[in-house]
Amino acid sequence: MASPSSERPSDYTCDVATQPPISSSSFGRSVGQTRADGAILEARNLTKRYRLGNRDVEALRGVSLRVRRGEFVALMGPSGSGKSTLLQLLGGLDRPTDGEVVLDGEVISHLSDAQATRLRREKTGFVFQFFNLIPLLDVYENVALPFTIAGVDPRHGEAAARIHGVLELVDLLGRERNRPDQLSAGEQQRVALARALVGRPAILLADEPTGNLDYATGGEILDELWRSCDKLGQTIVLVTHDARAAAHADRVLVVGDGRIRDEIELGRRENRDARPLIDRLSQLGL
Amino acid sequence: MRRLSSLAWRSLAARKMRSFLTMVGIALGVAVLFASLSAGATMDAAVDRAAADELGRSDLRVQALEEQGLNPATVDVISRVPGVSVAAPALDRETYLSVGAGQTASMQLPPPVTVLGIDPVRETQLHDMPLSAGRALGAGDLRSAIVTQTLAEQEHLGVGDSVSLDGAAAVGPQAYDVVGIVMGNGPLPEADGRLVFLTLPSAQTLFGTDSVTRVDLGAVPGTSVEELIGQLEASIKSQPYLLSRTEDLAASLRSEMADFRSALLLVAAVVLFAGAFLIFNTLSMTVAELTREVGLLRAAGTTRSQVMGLVMLQALALGVAGSVAGVVAGIGLAVAALSWVGSSGPVSLAGPSLSSGSIVMALLIGTVLTLAASLEPAWRAGRIPPVEALRRGPAGLAAGAARLRWLVIVFVVLALAALAIWPSGVGEGSGAGSLGTGASSGMWGPLAVYGLLLVSVLLVPRLIGPLGRVAGFPLRIFRNEERLARSSLSRDRSRTALTAGALVVGVAMVVALGTAAEDVRKIGSSWLTETIPGSELLTSIRPVSTTDQVVADLAGTPGVKSVSPIGLFGTPYVFVSQTDGRTVKSVVRQEAAAVVGSDYLNDGRLNFVQGARATALAALDAGGSVIVPRSLADTAGIHVGDTMEFATGTAVTQLTVAGIVAHSIPAESQEAILVGWSDATADFGATGADFFAIRYDAGQEATARPNLDATAVSYALEPNQLERVSGTVGDALDRIFKLLDALALIAVLIAGLGMVNTFSMSVLERVREIGVLRATGMTSRQVWSMVVIEAAVLGIVGAFIGAAVGLVVGAVLVAWSSQGFGLAFDPPWLSIALAVCFGVIISIAASIYPAGLASRLSIVKALQHE
Repeated sequence: MASPSSERPSDYTCDVATQPPISSSSFGRSVGQTRADGAILEARNLTKRYRLGNRDVEALRGVSLRVRRGEFVALMGPSGSGKSTLLQLLGGLDRPTDGEVVLDGEVISHLSDAQATRLRREKTGFVFQFFNLIPLLDVYENVALPFTIAGVDPRHGEAAARIHGVLELVDLLGRERNRPDQLSAGEQQRVALARALVGRPAILLADEPTGNLDYATGGEILDELWRSCDKLGQTIVLVTHDARAAAHADRVLVVGDGRIRDEIELGRRENRDARPLIDRLSQLGL
Repeated sequence: MRRLSSLAWRSLAARKMRSFLTMVGIALGVAVLFASLSAGATMDAAVDRAAADELGRSDLRVQALEEQGLNPATVDVISRVPGVSVAAPALDRETYLSVGAGQTASMQLPPPVTVLGIDPVRETQLHDMPLSAGRALGAGDLRSAIVTQTLAEQEHLGVGDSVSLDGAAAVGPQAYDVVGIVMGNGPLPEADGRLVFLTLPSAQTLFGTDSVTRVDLGAVPGTSVEELIGQLEASIKSQPYLLSRTEDLAASLRSEMADFRSALLLVAAVVLFAGAFLIFNTLSMTVAELTREVGLLRAAGTTRSQVMGLVMLQALALGVAGSVAGVVAGIGLAVAALSWVGSSGPVSLAGPSLSSGSIVMALLIGTVLTLAASLEPAWRAGRIPPVEALRRGPAGLAAGAARLRWLVIVFVVLALAALAIWPSGVGEGSGAGSLGTGASSGMWGPLAVYGLLLVSVLLVPRLIGPLGRVAGFPLRIFRNEERLARSSLSRDRSRTALTAGALVVGVAMVVALGTAAEDVRKIGSSWLTETIPGSELLTSIRPVSTTDQVVADLAGTPGVKSVSPIGLFGTPYVFVSQTDGRTVKSVVRQEAAAVVGSDYLNDGRLNFVQGARATALAALDAGGSVIVPRSLADTAGIHVGDTMEFATGTAVTQLTVAGIVAHSIPAESQEAILVGWSDATADFGATGADFFAIRYDAGQEATARPNLDATAVSYALEPNQLERVSGTVGDALDRIFKLLDALALIAVLIAGLGMVNTFSMSVLERVREIGVLRATGMTSRQVWSMVVIEAAVLGIVGAFIGAAVGLVVGAVLVAWSSQGFGLAFDPPWLSIALAVCFGVIISIAASIYPAGLASRLSIVKALQHE
C-alpha cells in the first residue's frame, strides 16, 4: 500500500525548523549554547519519586541521556516503565526530584512556573495521544494557539505565513474553518502536530501520538514526524511502546524500571523497517 | 438496592463542595419559604387574636354606622330582640390626657388615648379583662377608671393615681381615679395600647352624648347567629348599623395584609425557582460525570428505574438536609423580617409563629421541589445506554427539549404548591360588607409575574450568544482569554442558560420590586395632591363642628386663603345587583367624605371623568347630590344622573350622581364618595370635620404656617404637611419593599451558588484542554482570567437580561397599580444599576474558587485526565 504522504506534490516547501521561534529569551542557567557533540537536549541523572498513597514510588532512577540537534529519538518501554514521566521532565511539564535537564544550552529543570511557561511557549512543542485539541476552536485557531497565547495576531504577517506553511505540511489547507469534531482522528492528530510545529520549537515531544489511531492513520502521522525531522531538521523525542513506531527513530532508548536499559542505534533510514529493531529487542529478551 | 444506594451516598460524599453548596441553596430557598409561611401564620394568629380580643365571647356585634352612634332607643330595641341573652353596649372615643397643672401645652400634640365606656356587669359576661393590679369597675363607679398596662407604663400611672381626660367642649377635662390595670394592650388593636376604661354613663357624660358605638351580643343557648341576625334585621329600623362576627372582623383585618402576603409568597416562589435551577444543574453535572459508572451499572444489569432511583436518592438526601437547615434558618429570617416590618395596619407582628403546619409545609415543598427538579436528570441517567456510556466521555447536559420539560415540571410543581399554601382570604376583596375597590391583585397577579419570568428564562438560550459578544466587548483587552471564555459559554448553551436563568430571575425580581416601590410612593403622593384641596392638613381625633369658632380662627390667620373642612363617615349604601335574573338589593358599608364643593372649583383638583365640574361641585353644595369615584362607579355600574340610595334609618336617602372622578379622598379601606355638608349632617349623622385642608395665599405659606399651626394645636388639631403625610405612607411601604428586595436578593445569592457549581463543572470538563493550553504556553494567570472572564460575561448577560425583564415586570406591576394616575414610567435607574452590579459581582465571586482550581491544575495530571 502506497503511503498517502508520498502522493503530496510539494511537501515541506516551508522551512519551519531553520527559522527562529516567535521570540527567544533565556529561561535558566546558561551552560553554553553549543556542545561539541551537537546535543540540544541533555538529561543528567534524573530521578523522580511520587507519593502514592502511603508509599513512595520511584518512577525514574538516575536517567541520563543526550539528544542531538535534528535527531529523532524514541523512548520505548512497557507501560509503567517511566518513559512518559521522562518525557514530561524533558519538556518542562514537571520537575525532577533530583538531576537536571538542559535544553538548548540552558538548565530548565528547576524553573519557576512563569519561566517554565515561557519555555513551553517558545522552545518546546507537544503532541499527545488524545490529540487534545480545543473543541471550540477551528483548525486554524487551534494551530494558531501558541501565537494567540503569546499575544501575537495570527491572522497577519509572519504568524499567518507560518500557519499556512504548517497546514500545508500536514495537508490540511482548505480545512481551516473545520472544527475538531468535523475531522477524522488522523486529521485531528495532524492538527495537533501542526500546532506543535508552528512555533518552531527547539524540540518536539510526542507522547504515544499514534496510540489512539488505527494502523494506517498512525503510520501517516509517524511518516509526518519522520519527514519533519529528515527534511526540516526538527529534533524529536517520541515516547511509544510500539516497535513499529519506534523504528521511525534514528535511535531508540529502551526504558525499563525507571532506567535506560539499552540504546539501539538505527540511523536515518528511508524505509523505517521495524525488523532490525524487533530483532534487537528479541535479543535483549524484550 | 441497598447496596446500590451506598453509591448515592458515596457520590454525594465524593463531591463535598458541590453537595454542600447545593444544600445551602435549597436551605436558602426553604428559609425564605418558611419565613413567608411563618409570617403568614403570624399574621393569621395576630389577626385571630386581635379579633378574639375585640369580640371576646360575643356571638355578634352591632356597630353604629353613623358617626353619632346608636341611640338609647335602638340599644333598647337590640337588647330586647328575641334570642339575645346578653347585650353589652359600649362607647369608644378618642381624646387626650389633660395637661396637668404646672405643665404647658407644646406645639406637638401628645398621642391620643381611647376611652372605652362599658357596662361593667354585661361587659365581663362577654369579654375577659384580666387585671394585673387593682380591681374591676363596678356599676356605680362614676369617677373611677381602669387603664391598660401599656398606658400605665407610658404615662407612669398606678392604682390610686388620678387620670384626667379631655371631654366635650361643654364638659371640659374630667379626673378619674385609677382603680385597676388591665394586662397588656387591651382589646382594641387600633388603640395601640393607650386605652382607658370608664363606666358607660361616665364616658357618655365625658363626651356629652347618650349614644353608644356598638352593642356586643351573646345569644341564648340554642339560638344560632343566623337566627339572631334575622331577628335583628327585623327589629332595627330606625338607624343604620353594621353586623359583624369574629370571622368577619378577622377577614376584614386579613384583607389589609393581603397584598403583603401575596408579595411575600411570590418572592418565596421566585427564590425557590432559583433553588430549583441549582438542584437541576448540580444533578445534571453529577449525571454527566457518572456517565461511565452508570454505563457500567447498566451493563452489569442495573435497570433504568434503579439508576433513576440512585439519582433521586441523592436528590432526596440533599432536599431533606437542605429543607431541615432551611427551616432552622427560616426561623431566624422570620424573626428578622417580622421585627423589620413591625406591624401591619392595626395588628402587631411580634414574634414569628412556629406552627407545625408551616414547618411541615416548608419541609414538604423543599423536598418535593428538589425531587421535581431532579426528575429530568434522573430520567436522563436512566436513558444512558450501556454502550454509549462506556464509549464516550462525560455526557452532555440537557438539550433544549429536556430543559423545557424540566422547567415546565418545576413551574407546575411550584404553581401547585402555591395553590396549596395560598392563604384563604388573601386577594378576595377588601373586607366583609363592603364593595371591593382596593387594589388587591389576588393570586393571579403573582402567577402572571411568575409566568413572565418563566418565559424570559426560556428566551435566555437564544439571547446568550449575541449578548455574550456584546458583554465580552469591554473584556477584549484579554483577547485570548475573552475568546476562549465566550466559546466556553456557548459550549453548552443549555447549562449556560440555566445558570444565567437563575440570575435573570433574581435580578428581575429585585428590579421589578424597586420599580414598583417607586411607583407606589408616587401614587401615594399623587393621590393626596389630586384630592385634598390644600397643602396642609389639620387632623382631629374627633369631629369638629364646621360652625365651631376654630374654623373662623383658622380662616382668620393672616396668609391663609381657605380652610376646607372634610368629614369622614360610613354610609349604608343600597347596592343593587342582578342574581339569577332577579334584582337583589343589599346594604353595604360605603365610606363617604363631606366636603365643600366650592373649595375644589378653581384649583383643578379632582379629575372629573364624567359630568361637568362646575355643575357637579355646585350641586354638591346645594345638597341632594353625590360625586362618585371611578372605582365604585365601575364596580356598581353607576353613571352621572343615576340615583344612589342609602338606608339611613326608617327613610331611604336618595342622592343624584352629579359627577364621577378619577380618584377621590382615600378613606379607611376604600375611596370615599363625596357629599355636601348639608346632606352629611342632615341625612348621614355627620357631626363635624375630621380634618381641615389649608390653602395659603401665594408666597405666604412659610410665614403663615407657624401662626396657623399654633392656633391648630390650641384646638387639639394636629398639623401635617401634605408631603409629610405621603412621605409617612411611603416610608411604611419602603420598609415592606426593602424586605421583599432583601428576600429577592437571596435568589441572586442562590444563583451565585449555582454558578460556583457550573464553573467548577466547566473546569472539570476542560481539564485536558486546560492542560493543553498550559503545555502550549498559557500562564496560570491567563487560565485564571479565562474562567473569571467567563463568569463576568455570564454575569453581565444574566444581570442585563434580568434588569430588562425586571423592567417589563415592573411596568406590568405599575400598569396594574397606577390606578389611572397616568404616571410616567420612571424606573429607579440607580437601584437598577446597583442590582445589575450586584449580579455581576456575585457571578465573578462565584468563579473565584473554580478559577483557582483551574489555574492550579497540574499540567501532567491534566493531560492524563480522561
